[in-house]
Amino acid sequence: MSVIKVNELTKTFDKKDVVKALNFELNPGKCVALLGPNGAGKTTTLRMLSGLLNPSRGSVTFEGMKENGDIREHIGYLPQYPVFHNWMSGKEFLIYVGQLANLPKKQASDQANSLLKRVGIADAGNRRIGKYSGGMKQRLGIAQAMIHKPNLIILDEPVSSLDPIGRREVLNLMEELKEQTTILFSTHILSDAEEVSDDLLLMHQGEIVESGSIESLRTKHQTAKINLTFGDSNDNYLSSLKSIPSVNESLIERNEIQLLVDDIDQARKDILLKVSQENLPLTKFEISRTSLEDLFMKVVKN
Amino acid sequence: MQWKTIFVKEMLEDWRNFKWIWVPLVFILIAIMDPLTTYYMPKILDAVGGLPDGTVFEIPDVSPVAAMMMSLSEMSMFGVVVIVAITMGVIAGERRSGVAELVLVKPVSYLTYITSKWAEKLVLVWISFIIGMFASWYYVNLLFGEISFSAFLQVLFFYGLWLSLVVTITIFFNTLFKVPGLVLFVTIATIIMMSIINQVFSHVLIWFPNNMSSHIGGMLDGNHVSGDLWGTAFVTIEVIILLIIASLFSFRGKEMAN
Amino acid sequence: MELLGIDLAIIAPLLIIEAILAIVAIIAWFKTDETNGPKWLWLLLIIFISIIGPILFFIIGRRQN
Repeated sequence: MSVIKVNELTKTFDKKDVVKALNFELNPGKCVALLGPNGAGKTTTLRMLSGLLNPSRGSVTFEGMKENGDIREHIGYLPQYPVFHNWMSGKEFLIYVGQLANLPKKQASDQANSLLKRVGIADAGNRRIGKYSGGMKQRLGIAQAMIHKPNLIILDEPVSSLDPIGRREVLNLMEELKEQTTILFSTHILSDAEEVSDDLLLMHQGEIVESGSIESLRTKHQTAKINLTFGDSNDNYLSSLKSIPSVNESLIERNEIQLLVDDIDQARKDILLKVSQENLPLTKFEISRTSLEDLFMKVVKN
Repeated sequence: MQWKTIFVKEMLEDWRNFKWIWVPLVFILIAIMDPLTTYYMPKILDAVGGLPDGTVFEIPDVSPVAAMMMSLSEMSMFGVVVIVAITMGVIAGERRSGVAELVLVKPVSYLTYITSKWAEKLVLVWISFIIGMFASWYYVNLLFGEISFSAFLQVLFFYGLWLSLVVTITIFFNTLFKVPGLVLFVTIATIIMMSIINQVFSHVLIWFPNNMSSHIGGMLDGNHVSGDLWGTAFVTIEVIILLIIASLFSFRGKEMAN
Repeated sequence: MELLGIDLAIIAPLLIIEAILAIVAIIAWFKTDETNGPKWLWLLLIIFISIIGPILFFIIGRRQN
């Protein structure tokens, strides 16, 4: 049973596919991070899911949605840079969008009060939004996305524009919210994704290159890694190390050569043999395991 | 329900940014300025010392109808500019700032969004126009002579239709462009173009909306509503409806994220 | 009362409207956080250019959303 089902979702701008045939489903009650570098197509994807952009191809369907139904009834959306009517108070704005989401006025008002409390800006509820700080606006933004109790809330880079304190507050808030609803949020920062999300969609150049639960991805990509440092420029030795058969992949990262291998024992033997045969000036030899960050970096660099 | 929500929000916004105060006041000024200065011009000229000795004061030879037409002619200049200026950002401004994203991500139909804003601006414009014209009617009766109340109501109705068209044209360009200044410019340019077309082809395009005030003048002179005035009113209403439909299509074609 | 042969009772409403416009514009000026161009300049325009000053301030002076 999935909350939302995305089928071959594609967006083309000026003959260029910005989002390429995405297929995925989101399960209820999960917090899912759409992770990818800037320009990967995250915002475009989220805007199509929320009904602000029409897909060039493909479809988005919600569980229980009627034929030709309005997907906007089922989602709450927070854009990356939410803009409000600055002349309204936070509470007025929530009631306004609540009524737009077909809540009767009384109910919109009750819901606005409880959400203001929930996101921690109850004191500022009657103040003009123009006077709010960035963190307060972000929290008001989350409240407006929640106003009609949608099945799914979509947050576009909810923490990236905040200072460390605001960011901590919003992450904690998301942690609470995922108890009640399904959350899909985009980020370009892996640690934010790891912190609050259950599942990960890794996006790069308009495609989902990897997806699954954080745990399963961690295990899946936990291959052995050997880090080497040499006395002079690492570049000189990369090519000769690459040629060792037990080395699968190699790259230079932070002045270290990183070799990905399957069989650690075999690889260690081969590498050390090569070092002694060719008398390479090895200064550091370390065996470790890859992390999600390595996966992320690998994807981004290709 | 949603329609009323947006309508009420627009009302509140125009109240908080003082439009409900200043627009009626400005319409009064626009409506009475010309009749008043015309009436007092000889006295003012005299006071400034522009007239030779022996010039006799006379109430200028202006009929009540001509005086009221002066108000309409000022309306067609300054009134129109004010209307376009207060309407130029209703949709364009929200799209440009990004608030439209938060509104349109709720299940609001584009028709609701456009027509509720359109209707609120119509109410503001009609009320301001009526207040302004009441002031003009008062002064015309006081200074130039009587215009009957029923004739005055007819002036309000028919000229109000023309102003409604101005609101609608501005709303239409609001859905095409998202820079309010550009909406202003293109709308004014369109209205000027329309008036040029009207001047060149007025003998053929008798029911052209811009002919409204000349037919109103005829109505005031002849004391009855001519078929041409009805025809012009009919065409104006048609164009308003077509423009609302066109706005809907133009808005639908837009992607909110751009 | 007459001034230059003009009955003041007749033009008094005109002057009152001008005054209200200016006062409302000044109130709006105080409440505005941001103006297009220097804020003090707008105050001068409102006070010294009757009618046009307040109208221009209402239409293009304030930055709002």
